[in-house]
Amino acid sequence: METDHNIALSVKNLKTYFYTNNRCNRAVNGVSFDIEKGKTLCIVGESGCGKSVTASTIMQLLPRLSRIEEGSITYHSDAGDIDIENLERNGQKMRAIRGSEIAMIFQDPMTALNPVYTIGFQIGESLKYHTDLTRKQIRDKTIDLLRDMGISLPEQRIDEYPHQYSGGMRQRAMIAMAMSCNPKILIADEPTTALDVTIQAQIFELMDRLKEKHNTAIMLITHDMGVVAELADDVAVMYMGNIVEAGTIDEVLRTPTHPYTRALLDSIPVLGEGKNQIIEPIPGSTPDPYQRPKGCQFAPRCTHYSEQCDIMPAETQISETHRIMCWKYQEFATNGK
Amino acid sequence: MLTYVIRRILILIPMLLIISFLVYWGLELTPGDAVSHLINPEAAGRMSAEQLNDLRESYGLNKSFIERYGIWLINVLQGNFGHSLAGGVPIADIFLDRLPATLELSFVALFFSTVMGSILGTISALKRGSAVDSGLTVVGMLGVSIPELFFGLVALLIFALELGWLPVGGRLLPSYTSYWDHVPNIVLPALVLSLMMTAGVMRYSRSSMLDALSREFITTARSKGLPEWRINLLHGFRVALTPVVVLIGFRLPVLIGGTVIIEQVFQWPGIGNEFISSVRGADYPLVMMIALFSVFAVLLASLIIDVLTALIDPRVRLS
Amino acid sequence: MENSSLNRKFDRILALENAGKLKASSGNRALSKFYNNRLAVFGLIVFSIILLTAVFAPLLTSHDPLKINLRNIAQSPSWEHWFGTDRTGRDVFSRVLYGGRISILVGLGSALMAAVIGVAIGAYTGFKGGWIDVIALRISEIFMSFPQIILVLMLVSIAGQSLFNLIFIFVLTGWGAMYRMTRARMLSLREEEYVQALQSFGLSTATICYKHILPNALGPIMVNITLSTAAFILAEAGLSFLGLGVPLNLPTWGNILNVAQEIRVLQNFWWMWLPVGLVISLFVLSVNFIGDGLRDATDPSQQG
Ligand SMILES: Nc1ncnc2c1ncn2[C@@H]1O[C@H](COP(=O)(O)OP(=O)(O)OP(=O)(O)O)[C@@H](O)[C@H]1O
Ligand SMILES: [Mg+2]
Repeated sequence: METDHNIALSVKNLKTYFYTNNRCNRAVNGVSFDIEKGKTLCIVGESGCGKSVTASTIMQLLPRLSRIEEGSITYHSDAGDIDIENLERNGQKMRAIRGSEIAMIFQDPMTALNPVYTIGFQIGESLKYHTDLTRKQIRDKTIDLLRDMGISLPEQRIDEYPHQYSGGMRQRAMIAMAMSCNPKILIADEPTTALDVTIQAQIFELMDRLKEKHNTAIMLITHDMGVVAELADDVAVMYMGNIVEAGTIDEVLRTPTHPYTRALLDSIPVLGEGKNQIIEPIPGSTPDPYQRPKGCQFAPRCTHYSEQCDIMPAETQISETHRIMCWKYQEFATNGK
Repeated sequence: MLTYVIRRILILIPMLLIISFLVYWGLELTPGDAVSHLINPEAAGRMSAEQLNDLRESYGLNKSFIERYGIWLINVLQGNFGHSLAGGVPIADIFLDRLPATLELSFVALFFSTVMGSILGTISALKRGSAVDSGLTVVGMLGVSIPELFFGLVALLIFALELGWLPVGGRLLPSYTSYWDHVPNIVLPALVLSLMMTAGVMRYSRSSMLDALSREFITTARSKGLPEWRINLLHGFRVALTPVVVLIGFRLPVLIGGTVIIEQVFQWPGIGNEFISSVRGADYPLVMMIALFSVFAVLLASLIIDVLTALIDPRVRLS
Repeated sequence: MENSSLNRKFDRILALENAGKLKASSGNRALSKFYNNRLAVFGLIVFSIILLTAVFAPLLTSHDPLKINLRNIAQSPSWEHWFGTDRTGRDVFSRVLYGGRISILVGLGSALMAAVIGVAIGAYTGFKGGWIDVIALRISEIFMSFPQIILVLMLVSIAGQSLFNLIFIFVLTGWGAMYRMTRARMLSLREEEYVQALQSFGLSTATICYKHILPNALGPIMVNITLSTAAFILAEAGLSFLGLGVPLNLPTWGNILNVAQEIRVLQNFWWMWLPVGLVISLFVLSVNFIGDGLRDATDPSQQG
C-alpha cells in the first residue's frame, strides 16, 4: 500500500453523498483502493452498492446534487501526484486529466454516443483537445484506432453515425474513443451488460490486449463473476457504499472471508461446475439507502450477526493484500470455507 | 430523402381531401344558394331565372352532391375560390390583398420569437436553479398567461396613446410614399405578438435543453475532457434543437390564433382581420375559404418541419 | 456563488440526516412535492381565492351586475363601486365577480368535459386497436389540423352564439389533445405484463382500462386539464373581446374586456378594462402554476 511506483491511482476513505429530494444518500461511504499499472481491478457488488458512483467520483463526473465529502483520490501522474478531489469539477486541470490520463467507457454504448454526430467526429474530439495533431492527422489516427479495435473498413465507418453501428461495434468505438490518447487508467462501467455473450468475450479480449500493450491500469465494474475470474488481478467487493472485502483474485475467490462475499459467491452459478451446484440466494434484500443500518451494513442479512455488528467494523488487513471489514474475520479466516 | 418527402406528401393528400370535403359540406349547409358562392352575387341578381338555371347547369349545380363537390374542388385548385357575399369580391382577390400584411406580421413574430425564445430558454437551462433561471421561468409563465389582447391593449395605451411614440394602428396609410414608411406601424403588433410567442418557445427550449443535458452522451463528452461550452452547445444545444424546430411547426396554429387577435387590436389589415369581419357578417364562403386555407398552411408547415427535422437529424435522414 | 449556496444546502441536509430528523416522508410523495413548490402553492392560493369570490359573489357585493343605472355612468372607482361603473352605470366589481362564474364555468367545465370524452375515447380505442382506433385517430387529426381559433370561429358562425354552443365547441375542439395523450399511454401500457396478465384472467377491456390503467395516467391527465382550462379561459376572453363569444348580455371576463375595443374607453376609463384584464391574467397564471407544479410532482423522472 506504500507509495509504489506501480500504483496509478490511490483512493483513500472516499465518501460521496447524494442530496436529491432533500435527503442525504451516503452512496459511497468510505472506500479505499489502489489501481496498479498494467493490472485489472474488478469491482463487484449488488445493484445500487455504489460502484458507478465510485467511478464517476474518480472522474469528477458527479451530478449536480452530490459532492465528495471526505477522503482523497490521488492520481500518480508522470509529472507528480495530483489530488483529484481538490480540482474544480469541470475546471481546466480536471479536463486535462479526463480523456487523456483517465478515460472511461460506459454501460450502454447506444445512449453514451451522441446520435447526431459521426463516430469519427466523436473520437476526433478527444484527440483535438488532448493532442496537437492536425485535422488530417486526427482523421488518420481515428481510422487507425478503429482498425485496431477490429472494425472493418474503418475508412468508411468513420463517417457513419452511431445508429448505423451494431451494439458491439458501438462499444468498440467507445473503447477507441477512450484509448485514443493512451490513458494511464481506463475505467469501464459494466461495458458489456448491454451486449450479447459472444460480443462480450470479444470486448474483454480487446481490453485485455490493450492493457498488455499500453500497460494501462483498468478498473472494471461488473456483475459477472465469470468475467472477474477471467480478467481480474485484484478484486474489491462492495456492499452499500463500502468495500467489504478486497484482495488479489486468488484471495477473494479462493478464500472468501467476509460473509457477504461468501453469500455472493454462493448465489452465483459457476461456469464449468455442472448443474449440481448448490445455489443459495442471499437472504433478505438490500436495505433502503436512506435507512442504512447503524453498524455493519450487511448485519441485518448476515447469518453470523451478533450485537458487536451494530458498530461499524474497521478495515482489517488479514494478509498483505487481503483486507476485510468484519468483526468476526478471525472466525472465518481460520475456519476457511 | 426524396422518397421520404414524397411519402409525406402522399400522406397529406387524403387529409386535405377530407377536410376540403367537410368544408364544402359546411358551405352547402349554410344559408345561401350554392351558385352565389361561385359567381358574383350582384351579377346573379341581375339575371333572369332562366339564365340562372342555365348557369346552374353550366356549373353542374343540379348534379349530385359528390359531383358538385368535384366541380368545386377543381375550381378551387384552379384558383377560383368563389366570391365573398359582401360586395361580391372574388375571394382570391381578397387573399392577394390581405395576405401580405399577415405574412409580414407572422414572419417577424416567428423569427423574433424563435431566436429569442431558444436563446433565453437555453440560458435558463444552463443556469438552472439560479436567480436568472427563476426570473426567466416566472416571466415565461406570465407570457403564456396574460391574454395577448390585454397585453396588446396595455402596449397600445402606453406607447401609442400616452407616449405617442408609435401609431395607433393601420398599415399602409394613404399618406405613405414608400413601403418602409409603415415600419412604425408594425412595431407594436409585431412586438406584442413576438413577446407572447417568445414565452412559449422559451419554456419549451428550456425543457428540451434540460432533457438533452441529462442524457448520457453529455457525460461521455465530459469524460473526454471537452470544455463546457463545447459540451453545452455542440452536444447539448444541437440535440435540443430538433424538438425546438418541430415546435415552430406546431406553433403555427398558435401563431395564426395570435395574429387574428392582434390584427384586431391594432387594426392590422390582414387575413385574420378579414376573417373576423366575415364571421361577424355571416359571409360563409369567405369564412370557409379562410378556414380551408389555414388548414392548408398548417399541414404545409408540418410537412416543411418534418423535412427540416429530417435534415437536422441523421437518424431520420438516413432511414 | 452557486457552489457555496449548494454546499450550504448540502450541509443543512447532512446535519438533519445525522440528527435522524429526516424520515421517509409518510404521506403521498407527489403531494408533498407539490406543496414544496412555492409557485404551485401560490397558484393554488390565487386560484382558490378567485374561484371562491366568484362562487360567493352574492355575498361579496350587493350590486346587480346587470342593473343599468343611467345616472351613474362611467364613475371612477370609489368606496361604493370598487372598480367604478361602466358606460351604462353597471358596477364593474360585481360584473367581474359574476363574470368569473361564467368564465370559470366555460374554462373549467369545457376542460373537464373534453378530458372525460378524450380519455374515454383514447382509453377505449387505444386499448382495442384495429379500425376503430384508426378512425378515432383520423378524426382527431382532422380536428387538430385546424388552428383552434379558426375552427372555433367557423363553428360559431355556423352554430350561432350562445353559452351552450361555446362550451360545446370548446369541447369539440379540445378533446383531441387529451385523446392523443391517453391513446399513447394506452398503447405502451397494453404491452406491459401486468395488463396482459389481467387480460388472460378474462377481465373485460373496459374494466382493465378504467380500473387498472387510468389511475396510472392520472398525473398527466390532471396536468392536461389545467393546461386546457387556462387555454379555454384565454379563448373565451379573446372571442368575447371580438364580440363572438358568449352573448354580450351575459357578464363574462371577455365581455367586460370587450369595451376596451374603443380607443376612448381604453384611454379614459381604465377601470372598465384594466382590473378585469389583471384578473384574467392572474387566474390563468395561477392555473398554469398549478399545472407546472402537478407536472413536476407527478413526473417520476424529475428530481429536486
Ligand atoms: N444521479 C443520481 N442521483 C441520485 N442518486 C443516485 C444517482 N446515481 C446513483 N445514485 C444512488 O447512489 C447509490 C449507488 O448507485 P450506483 O449507481 O453507484 O450503483 P451501482 O453499484 O453502479 O449499481 P448498478 O450495478 O445497478 O449499476 C444508489 O443508492 C443510487 O440510488
Ligand atoms: Mg452502475
